[in-house]
Amino acid sequence: MSAVSAGAANDLWASAEQALAMMRRQGFEHAQVSVNRHHRHEVCVAHNEASLLRSTQSNKLQLTGLLDGRRADIEGSELDADSLRALVQSLWSNVAAAPQDAANAVSSAQSAQVTRGPQQADTAALADAMRELLDWRAQHTPSVMLEEALAGHTQVRSCTLTSGASALHCALGWYDAGAFGMAREGARSSSFNFCGGNADSLAGEPLVQRFGLEDMLRALTRSVHTEAVGERFTGAVVLTPSAVGSLLGWFLGQLSDSVLIAGSSVYRESLGQRVASPLVTLRSRFDAPGVAPFSADAFALEPVTLLDRGTLTCFTPSLYGSRKTGLAHVPVGAEGWDIAAGDTPLDALIAGVSRGALVDRLSMGRPSANGDFSGVIKNSFAIRDGGIGPALSETMIAGNVAQMLRDVSAVSVPRIDAGAWVLPWLRVEGLHFS
Amino acid sequence: MTTIARQHELETREHELRKTRMLMVDGNLTQNLRTLERGVSARAYVGGYWGFGSEPLAGGAERERVQRQALANAQAMARFGTRSPRPLPPVRHVGRQQHQGRAPLTAAECNERLAELQAWCRRHYPALRSTRFLIGDEHHGKSLTTSLGGDSFARIDRAACAFTLVGEDTTGAPIEVDEWVSGSGTLADIDWSLDALAPKLERAHEHLQAKRHAVGARGGLQTVVLAAPLAGMLAHEAMGHPCEADAVIGGAVTASLVGQPVASELVSMVDFAHTFEGRPTLIPVEVDDEGTPARDVPMIERGILTSFMHSRETAARMGQAPTGNARAYNPHDEPLVRMRNTAILPGSSTMEDMIAGVDEGYLLLKTGNGQADATTEFTFGVTLAYEIRGGKLGRAVRNTTLSGSAIKVLKTVDAVGDAMHWECAGYCGKKQPMVVSMGGPALRARAHLGGE
Repeated sequence: MSAVSAGAANDLWASAEQALAMMRRQGFEHAQVSVNRHHRHEVCVAHNEASLLRSTQSNKLQLTGLLDGRRADIEGSELDADSLRALVQSLWSNVAAAPQDAANAVSSAQSAQVTRGPQQADTAALADAMRELLDWRAQHTPSVMLEEALAGHTQVRSCTLTSGASALHCALGWYDAGAFGMAREGARSSSFNFCGGNADSLAGEPLVQRFGLEDMLRALTRSVHTEAVGERFTGAVVLTPSAVGSLLGWFLGQLSDSVLIAGSSVYRESLGQRVASPLVTLRSRFDAPGVAPFSADAFALEPVTLLDRGTLTCFTPSLYGSRKTGLAHVPVGAEGWDIAAGDTPLDALIAGVSRGALVDRLSMGRPSANGDFSGVIKNSFAIRDGGIGPALSETMIAGNVAQMLRDVSAVSVPRIDAGAWVLPWLRVEGLHFS
Repeated sequence: MTTIARQHELETREHELRKTRMLMVDGNLTQNLRTLERGVSARAYVGGYWGFGSEPLAGGAERERVQRQALANAQAMARFGTRSPRPLPPVRHVGRQQHQGRAPLTAAECNERLAELQAWCRRHYPALRSTRFLIGDEHHGKSLTTSLGGDSFARIDRAACAFTLVGEDTTGAPIEVDEWVSGSGTLADIDWSLDALAPKLERAHEHLQAKRHAVGARGGLQTVVLAAPLAGMLAHEAMGHPCEADAVIGGAVTASLVGQPVASELVSMVDFAHTFEGRPTLIPVEVDDEGTPARDVPMIERGILTSFMHSRETAARMGQAPTGNARAYNPHDEPLVRMRNTAILPGSSTMEDMIAGVDEGYLLLKTGNGQADATTEFTFGVTLAYEIRGGKLGRAVRNTTLSGSAIKVLKTVDAVGDAMHWECAGYCGKKQPMVVSMGGPALRARAHLGGE
């Protein structure tokens, strides 16, 4: 760690210790304090033109106080002693009014110091990466309008202390980029689409070759002229990694506090059972660019496999959720997931579909509590007899997300690495098209 | 004003954002959070490029620092090439927005009321699998000064309460019904008392019982009666977003449709700035975050597409006047073109008549969320719906999805309800979140439903 960053780390540590001491003096029985500093630089594009350079700095001070089994949380952005004192006083008022709950607790004996990724922004590199993307678009996909695009660098330093002697410190830096746009021909437009991701560096590989950007831009140009599917049938979908992300989000939600405590997870009786195709293995990648190494309740994250060849190995309750439900505590982060590559080449994955669609985006409401959903497939192409056909419009698919995971019939060899996730293409059978 | 601010096209905003969020699940207070964020930001326009800088407010030199940062950033963008800067329309607003609300509820009052509601549900609905109550409020105070002499203070205050009843269908699978109450001000300014919520809970419980035996919707084009909350969502998602001028410049199909019919003659739609029928809207915007005095934007007048929502930059680019739609969500965000209070205007039909006029179709009562596209294709999750057969309500329908081209759907509208419903509970997403309100009456139209 450089002298400058060591100094910054010491400042955070001092602020956190000051806050924790103040909370102890106030009378809290247990406490958790996190101090974060966030610096970001971002080059933005609007309507195919470089538009804006942003530089932002923000602080976040998070306090959790427990008293007599009661809990309250408060966050502020000012780290001076007076502001801190005001936050502690407010927290004290709030905790006294909260109901008692024996499941409330803070972490103990956690210790970790993580420094990862580029700590200094190279704004020239951001600009160069964006210029390269704009040039590529103009040359290869001129009908695409990038309504928004950005290349950024984020540096986050954080220090978390608890009254249970946990001490977690991290300094993370990462680059990110993304684009949002559509293709236009005369008065006709494609649907919009977007993709992006995080990386340790933007050097060495053109931006357009990262995160699936090139595929997205080229697909947009083929999506201006669309056809409706025209009739109802039951078929298969090949989900791109972006669409697989929608399934993943629902699945992770079914393993987390809110549905576990409410008893409404569709997997509540399924621990140790096969809940997905044996082709599907889902594991963490908490060391990926931009992924926090600690959970929100102050636990250092260890690697975890949630689905082992389709078998559910654990739930992911927080410390509170674990104490509430009796389920084993498995700390996880908000991001950082990986579905293992399969053994089917992408061409073969598509060739295996007699009738269906290649689906990049599912536009729909939140699936029902039981996993039922219906949604419009966007940025998608018909598949007939193993070949990709026209872009689709106004086409819906309906099914059940839990059943879709069980009905995965092939997993691709290639995957897209977006930093926060690495996902393959999946072929899923048995969706209802209309 | 600092020397820097006088010399350049520059706006400087001090922004305070306070929030409360409490979630009670089956009597357990699983979230009990207050947040306070204060920051100062500056945005400069130099040589056709923008620069932005922000820092936490610390009572010191940060104001001048972020102004210098914004200018330096704008100047640094010249590496993308020299431009002939497009002059931005001059705007200036001086004023201070007031809010006359009740004193906020204390944490103890919030907890007592949550506990009372939970206890009532336990007594009345012991068979429910779970009950959730979420309350929250959010308060923005923004002091803006501009190099054109603008000096304003704007505020947004909104509060919401939601409950979700979770039961089981006949196969044991979980089913849910939820309900929102929202409005301007703090949690003291909206009525989420037991007296007010008990009838809503009772109705939601009846819907939940009906959903136990729900049937799947028939997929495909259907006649649907959209209850007012869905019409508000339709206004916002399906036609509101494609009428944001940055989306228009970006290629939304609305670009070439001004002056043309995009809806039935029964449909008019407006993005209200701060006043509707002589009363403040739920999210009143008197001045936007560029210093533009806000005015109403009529987007559809009796079926004809009329105008778009603008920032200063999009107005300059399209040769129109700015409308006061440039809004920034948090202290570290730059203004973007955003909606404020978007609504379809009421008509003359009653809900009863609209249902009675449907031989075979669906009544859609609640939506979870929605998305729109540049093509005006939209998608809403429908979380509560009933069949209509022979002009009468039938069985409940399992969760489904409503979709279609907004233009095609709005052209099929053959009845518009006479009762407006406004709400301001959720967030609009577009790079940044944003607090908006949406309103509308019930509509009858033809649209696609998801199903087997």
